[in-house]
Amino acid sequence: MKENLSTDTHFPVVSLQGVSKYYGSHQALNDVHLDVHPGEVLAFLGPNGAGKTTAIQIMLGLRQASQGSVKLFGETPGPRVRNRIGVMLQDSGLPENLTVAELIRLFASYYPYSLPVEEVLERADLVAKRKAMVRQLSGGQRQRLYFALAIIGDPDLIFLDEPTVAMDVSARRIFWQQLQEFAALGKTVLFSTHYLDEADEMADRIVVMHQGAVLKDGSPQDIKRLVAAKTVKLKTDLSLASAQGFKGVERAEKQNGHLLVYTNEPETFLQSLMLENYTMTDLTVIDTDLEAAFVSLTRTQA
Amino acid sequence: MASKLITNQPSFKRQLSPTAKRSSTPLSLLAAQIYSEFMQNFRVPEFLIGVAVIPTILFMMFGLPNAGESLPGGTTIGSLMMASFAAYGIVSLCIFTFGVDIAQERGRGWLRLMRASPLPAWVYFAGKLVMAILFALVIMALLFLVAVLFGGVRLAGLEWLQLSLSLLLGGLSFSSMGFALAYWTKPRAASAIGNLVFLPLAFVSGFFFPLNQLPDFLQRLAPYLPTYHYGQLVWASAGKADDVALYVGQPIGASWVSMAWLLGSFLVFGVLAWWGYKRDQVEQFG
Repeated sequence: MKENLSTDTHFPVVSLQGVSKYYGSHQALNDVHLDVHPGEVLAFLGPNGAGKTTAIQIMLGLRQASQGSVKLFGETPGPRVRNRIGVMLQDSGLPENLTVAELIRLFASYYPYSLPVEEVLERADLVAKRKAMVRQLSGGQRQRLYFALAIIGDPDLIFLDEPTVAMDVSARRIFWQQLQEFAALGKTVLFSTHYLDEADEMADRIVVMHQGAVLKDGSPQDIKRLVAAKTVKLKTDLSLASAQGFKGVERAEKQNGHLLVYTNEPETFLQSLMLENYTMTDLTVIDTDLEAAFVSLTRTQA
Repeated sequence: MASKLITNQPSFKRQLSPTAKRSSTPLSLLAAQIYSEFMQNFRVPEFLIGVAVIPTILFMMFGLPNAGESLPGGTTIGSLMMASFAAYGIVSLCIFTFGVDIAQERGRGWLRLMRASPLPAWVYFAGKLVMAILFALVIMALLFLVAVLFGGVRLAGLEWLQLSLSLLLGGLSFSSMGFALAYWTKPRAASAIGNLVFLPLAFVSGFFFPLNQLPDFLQRLAPYLPTYHYGQLVWASAGKADDVALYVGQPIGASWVSMAWLLGSFLVFGVLAWWGYKRDQVEQFG
């Protein structure tokens, strides 16, 4: 393990060493090691049930690890370090009968330092809703309010558990822009998602989780090489072997008479197909199903 | 390992944004929590009416018709019934704000988000407590006003004070019963169970009708209920002892006995609540 901690200027703000978690006989996390450095934007990528939420809850001290050690800013997660972290959890629910501004002000009072309420309303795009009751907000607005509550304490470290899960595409784009502006203040950001696109666009580093274990920890480029973002599915006279040689194709396979091509650049692949006059019928381009991709990854690694 | 971490503290300096300000003192934090607890409930008409107004309505229905009747010692029926319905209102407030409220919040993720924030647990509970006291004052003010204006109830200044204090302090002893309920019932069942516990208690303790109008076995059961002793304290503050005994149909015990009962039940339910709270913490955050 790391011996030169005291000379390391990138002392990890989050450190998990050999963390496992059992719920009864079910193992939710399996020997997770992770160091997150100041200013990093890190994505936990994985399908449902991969252990992302459990990992985040353990880092927040909302759950206790069954084994291993967890440190935030060098301390055991608890009341003292909570002054410096902001949190967005899944399905939190909100007090329905407070106004947006009242709730943000309430949360501001929880923290020793806080950003001006005005600034947070702007950052979360809620200026027009400041006097609205929480019960009147739409799903997307609620999500923005959670974001506002997560940043009001000017945290050094912010955790977001599937922050965009209830958002449509345009809301998602705006949200990531807001988060990027906040991260630009030098904040460390940890978020979970099951969209490779999101992880790729936002994060400097992606930790791929599967069945409670870290499957891969690397840059977005590394991960995309491993798990191509898009799957092109079609019937064609192109052979499997030659498909694998096409530009931008990471992997290809045959399935029930269809050719499945995993690529990060479906446009390039399809253009080459057209130029070379291969037949194409029954064509679909879909986001790669992470669950399936990870299962096949674990199989190839084993 | 530990010493290494301490020498590295400087690398964990806070990186505040240029616009960040020092925001909270413990007092402003408590004030903000109380304000939001109060407003959350105040803005719910069902809560406001159900908890704050119903005692007064019940008093108008059952108390006003014979409020003017006097007992031999000069105590009016009106002042005793006013005290009864105030006691009813405050016990229901405790069961509902501490019990049902917290049980339902427990069922939502909101509590988890608050727990991940730096809010200390005691501020959360203190917020609930002060909110309950504020609503208890609203219940009493409304009821006293109607009793004075329409029921001809007259008490000396000191008697009003003694009545208010025994209502408040005695009432707060039921907070632990509320907490116990909150941590031992399922969120969805809390409201039904709250009523199931509270209504019989109020009935058998003589809050709706004087005890001597109830069936014999209930009269014999009553002295074993904390709410009955709450009633004793409250009635004794609102009228002369002989009159109260006549009204209740049973001799009035020494006030220290009633206080001991309230303290005892506060502690017993307090232990239950603590146990349930700990159990819940392990379940939710273990």
